[in-house]
Amino acid sequence: MNPILIRASVGYLLRHPWQLALALLGISIGVAVMVSVDLANQSSRKAFIASMNAVNGDATHQIVAGPGGIDEALYVHLRVAEGIRSIAPIVAGNVRISNRTMQLLGVDVFAERAFRSFSSPASSPPGNSEGSGQSSEDAVRRFLAGDGSVLMSARTATELDLAANEPFILEANGKSYPARLAGSPQGGQEGQLDNLLVADIAAAQHWLGLTGKLSRIDVKISEGDNKLASRLRSLLPDGTELLSAAGRTQTTADMSDAFMTNLFAMSLLALLVGIFLIYNSVSFAVLQRRELIGVLRALGVTRRQVFGLILTEAAIIGLIGAAVGVFAGVWLGEKLVVLVSRTVSDHYFVANVTRLSVDSFSVAKGFLAGLLATLVAAAIPAAEASAYQPRLTLSRSTLEARAGGLLPKLAWGGLGLMLVAGLTLTVSGNHLTAGLVALFMLIFGFALCIPLVVHFLSVSFEPLAGRWGGTAARLAVSSVSKSLSRTGVAVVALSIAVSATIGVSIMVESFRLSVSDWLNTTLQSDVYVGVPRGSLDRQLLADLVAVPGIIEHSTSRRSWLEDQGGRTQIIAIQMAPGSYRGTKIRDGRPEDVWQLFDNGQGVLISDAYAYRSQLGRGDSLQLNTSDGMIEFTVAAVYQSYDSNNGAIMMSRGTYDRYFDDPVIDSIGLYLEPGTDVDDIMTKLREVGRGRQSLIMNSNARIRDISLQIFDRTFVITNVLYWLAVGVAVIGIFGAMLALQLERARDYGILRAIGMTPAQTGMLVSAQTGCIGILSGIAAIPLGLMMAWVLIEVINRRAFGWEIDFTVPPAVLLWALLLAVGAALLAGIYPAWSAAHTRPALAMRDE
Amino acid sequence: MRIKIKKSVYLIVFTLIITSLSACEGDQQNTGAAPEALRGGSRLSELLGGDSSAGFARAIEPREFVFPRDHGPHTRYRNEWWYVTGNLDGPERERFGFELTFFRFSLAPDTPSEFDSAWQTNQVYIAHFAITDVTGKSFHVAQRYARGGAGLAGAQASPFKVWLDDWSIAESAPRPGSTHWNLHAEDAGFSLDLDLVALKRPVLNGRDGLSQKSAEAGNASYYYSLTRLQSDGSVRLGEKNYAVTGLSWLDREWGSSALSSGQRGWDWFALQLSDGSELMFYNIRRNDNSADSHSAGTWIDPEGVTSYLRPEDVSIVVTDSWDSPRGGTYPAGWIIDIPGRDLSLAVQPVLSDQELLTTVRYWEGAVDVDGSRGEQDFTGRGYVELTGYASE
Repeated sequence: MNPILIRASVGYLLRHPWQLALALLGISIGVAVMVSVDLANQSSRKAFIASMNAVNGDATHQIVAGPGGIDEALYVHLRVAEGIRSIAPIVAGNVRISNRTMQLLGVDVFAERAFRSFSSPASSPPGNSEGSGQSSEDAVRRFLAGDGSVLMSARTATELDLAANEPFILEANGKSYPARLAGSPQGGQEGQLDNLLVADIAAAQHWLGLTGKLSRIDVKISEGDNKLASRLRSLLPDGTELLSAAGRTQTTADMSDAFMTNLFAMSLLALLVGIFLIYNSVSFAVLQRRELIGVLRALGVTRRQVFGLILTEAAIIGLIGAAVGVFAGVWLGEKLVVLVSRTVSDHYFVANVTRLSVDSFSVAKGFLAGLLATLVAAAIPAAEASAYQPRLTLSRSTLEARAGGLLPKLAWGGLGLMLVAGLTLTVSGNHLTAGLVALFMLIFGFALCIPLVVHFLSVSFEPLAGRWGGTAARLAVSSVSKSLSRTGVAVVALSIAVSATIGVSIMVESFRLSVSDWLNTTLQSDVYVGVPRGSLDRQLLADLVAVPGIIEHSTSRRSWLEDQGGRTQIIAIQMAPGSYRGTKIRDGRPEDVWQLFDNGQGVLISDAYAYRSQLGRGDSLQLNTSDGMIEFTVAAVYQSYDSNNGAIMMSRGTYDRYFDDPVIDSIGLYLEPGTDVDDIMTKLREVGRGRQSLIMNSNARIRDISLQIFDRTFVITNVLYWLAVGVAVIGIFGAMLALQLERARDYGILRAIGMTPAQTGMLVSAQTGCIGILSGIAAIPLGLMMAWVLIEVINRRAFGWEIDFTVPPAVLLWALLLAVGAALLAGIYPAWSAAHTRPALAMRDE
Repeated sequence: MRIKIKKSVYLIVFTLIITSLSACEGDQQNTGAAPEALRGGSRLSELLGGDSSAGFARAIEPREFVFPRDHGPHTRYRNEWWYVTGNLDGPERERFGFELTFFRFSLAPDTPSEFDSAWQTNQVYIAHFAITDVTGKSFHVAQRYARGGAGLAGAQASPFKVWLDDWSIAESAPRPGSTHWNLHAEDAGFSLDLDLVALKRPVLNGRDGLSQKSAEAGNASYYYSLTRLQSDGSVRLGEKNYAVTGLSWLDREWGSSALSSGQRGWDWFALQLSDGSELMFYNIRRNDNSADSHSAGTWIDPEGVTSYLRPEDVSIVVTDSWDSPRGGTYPAGWIIDIPGRDLSLAVQPVLSDQELLTTVRYWEGAVDVDGSRGEQDFTGRGYVELTGYASE
């Protein structure tokens, strides 16, 4: 590139720092949002996989069984009778210490050596000044002698304020047990072993109420040793499976895939809006220099050189913007990862993210996307600039005329793109990514139509505005269509941001309404009593339901079935007469369905399960039961939002027949009409006192908690669309500033013919207000379309949920306000600046 | 008996869990903890000294031995072992030696009962298995450990059985008046299956089975042996199976006492002579390498009549030595004279390197005996155990 050209270019950009800053900001924010979401997703996932790998140690496989766990005799048999040694028994579950939930890993230290290095105490936990030697030996002695000694990471011990050898109370299965801190697990990278408690297997069985049972058997099979694997498989009883450890971790991690894909797609929205911003800035830079470019062309600079010049400028801006964006993304990611990991932990798996892991691939991806977006956005104005005739100074009017001629073409292109999007939706089955691609095509296609729509609106409103608001108003409205080459892009950016808020709001609101309706239906009992992740003591259960005032009760048990394909939730319910109303059957006559259900002739599957498995009423599915693979008939599909991955519901009788698992984890109590719920709950607590700590909630409370979790899930969504709105506001600001600079002369004339500074400021504000209103109006159809796609396509494909489409009018009104507010906000400085134009200075050109 | 091993058991339990669990070595290379264990400094005495035997039953007075009851475990005592060694011949004059030992160790005097779990126990079992391939000049060792709970390891008197994982010695088809057991042990690449039939009654060592280890009362153990077990079965090495026959020796001992501080290690001889008699003698070495006055032995004549041997009854002269490539120099040849019986025995290892690289390193190997009583020459075979020689 010619150095003179570069100097011209650099000089220009430096003389217009605002423009430069806006372009940089647009690209930076786009890249930052994309990088931050990606990093937060990856970090949550990696933290989970890393801690799973640390916990699994060298285990390559795991023997798992149904809900009832594995009979410990199987392990003893494999070791003593079969002489298989590369196995280790594990009893795992959740316990609580000082209200913090921790994962308990019960191990047999003698079998551990081949698997985990950490299950022996290393250094003493904080607070022990004696050093590690003697106290570690004591710890081991106690670990085996069984006084409830446990190991936990030094950091966790510090957080729980526990010193070495300090006794504490551990809560498991609703009961309290004395335990003692014996040391910290050895090794394990930072954070991987946090929230993990290692204890002797005997203690773990006792605490978790798993006497005689194992949660799994860890297996170490050297690579290529197919003999051991097939030998083990031949020795396993029905309902027990040998699965790859890495595979199990992967399947669990994959459960959050849809959620993370959606999040990432949302982050692309910010980049998309950023692209408009770049386009805006670059084309403005081109327009402003149209005379200079004309001169350059006359001096013999070729079209290619002009094209290259503009693109190089854009590339430099893109490079800097993307680099800034990457750093900002890492910073933002640190904030975002808290939200993401919390949601992931609510719904999928415990992701104990202590630090954002900065993945170079994510960073590179974000950087390249930013750069590419800049170049794409700049290519159009660059091409336009290279098309300028030498020495011909394009007048504003020629330019607008050209832009006006372009509008229908753009709109046709947009319509075509939307058509392709629709086609993609219909042919892509239930592919999530294809759905998201179609969504973006739809947005982009509609974006291309927006200038025409706005032009049309502005032309139609012009006389109306003149009648109501006089010349100034008329001027303001008409200026929107008169300056579309300038404002069009700003309008598009704002429209897209606003339509995103409409689409997402409608989706979230519809979803929330559906969930809330569903909760109202499904929470039929008055009071729910349960033991979190534990087993309700049978005698206690009998005593609880015998409390006067209770007329009926239902019981439920949620358990997991695991096989090669992943985990399936099973819900076993002993229905009370009132319970049937609580389950909304999607297909089939309820009476028939319930008859099949009660007779053990059929199971129900949730919406999500049905969608995922493509099963429906009358189909059959196979489950790995204690009797081996058994075929069950689907009696119906039922409405449920409580599990992303779907659930299978069966009657308690059916469950007991096929699974060796007598556990009941919660009961629903029906009260005599007119009974005071609080009063009954007090009585129930009295019954449970000193026996098992119970979680007890009225149905109203469960409803509130459920909706709280729901709202928490969408906090990230909110954060993301506010970021998109932020980018749009900056876009409007840029456009208005550009327009104002370009129109300096016009304003000068207006001022010279007697307009006061206040009137000039008002005029500019009115202009931006018009842009806001028109963008808002244009955003509504796109927003509705997006909402529909999000609900019917994206959510269905990602989670299998059925959501009723509801459009709350408030959302639309709010979107309009948002658009106008954003535009006005962005217009404050340009208006102030226009108002302070010195007429003489502005007109000095002539 | 086997003071050093007893000492080892404590150490094995503590050190293997503390150190070797974190190392990712295989069974045979488990040397990480051994040197420190064998140096035996102040930490050891702290660990084993004083109160640690409080609450356990102690071997203070002679007891009445009843069989098969006493083949079973005595869990009120802190430690106990079933120690089988033997010499075997294959069909083509192949020669093998073997050792299969189960150590039982009580972590506490009482069985804990806090937890409702079959895994809860105060019993720990450790087992060593070694085969000496004399013909092939190779030595194979494996070590295992398990808790004495949930059925993973344990011992019982009737029907007799001691096991750890799939290694076991168990009574088979009891015939009245005879002791008939099956032995099974295997590891990657080698295994042993034997039928053991006792040819002699149990021999009570020490004073009526009470084997005093130092002057202090209770610093003793109960000790009996089955000195002549007819052994038939098979040895597998790699892909090759050998039908074998020979003689084995069982040592049984239990007690709760700690090691005396001045004692460093010991040499133990269990010799089966061709005339039908056996000799057991252990020589406790003090820190200055002198023989401890509590060294002792038993002479068993072909009819099973036993006599107690005091240190002054026996003279042992070392005739050869062997430097372990792992460090330490072991004696590797002896002349044992018992002047009172006009007996002289030349004892020679069948293979130099029969050192067990278990948690605690020691030498336990098959030996040949050339002897004479007066004018009469005879031969013999046996096992020798040497502890306290390994060094870093």
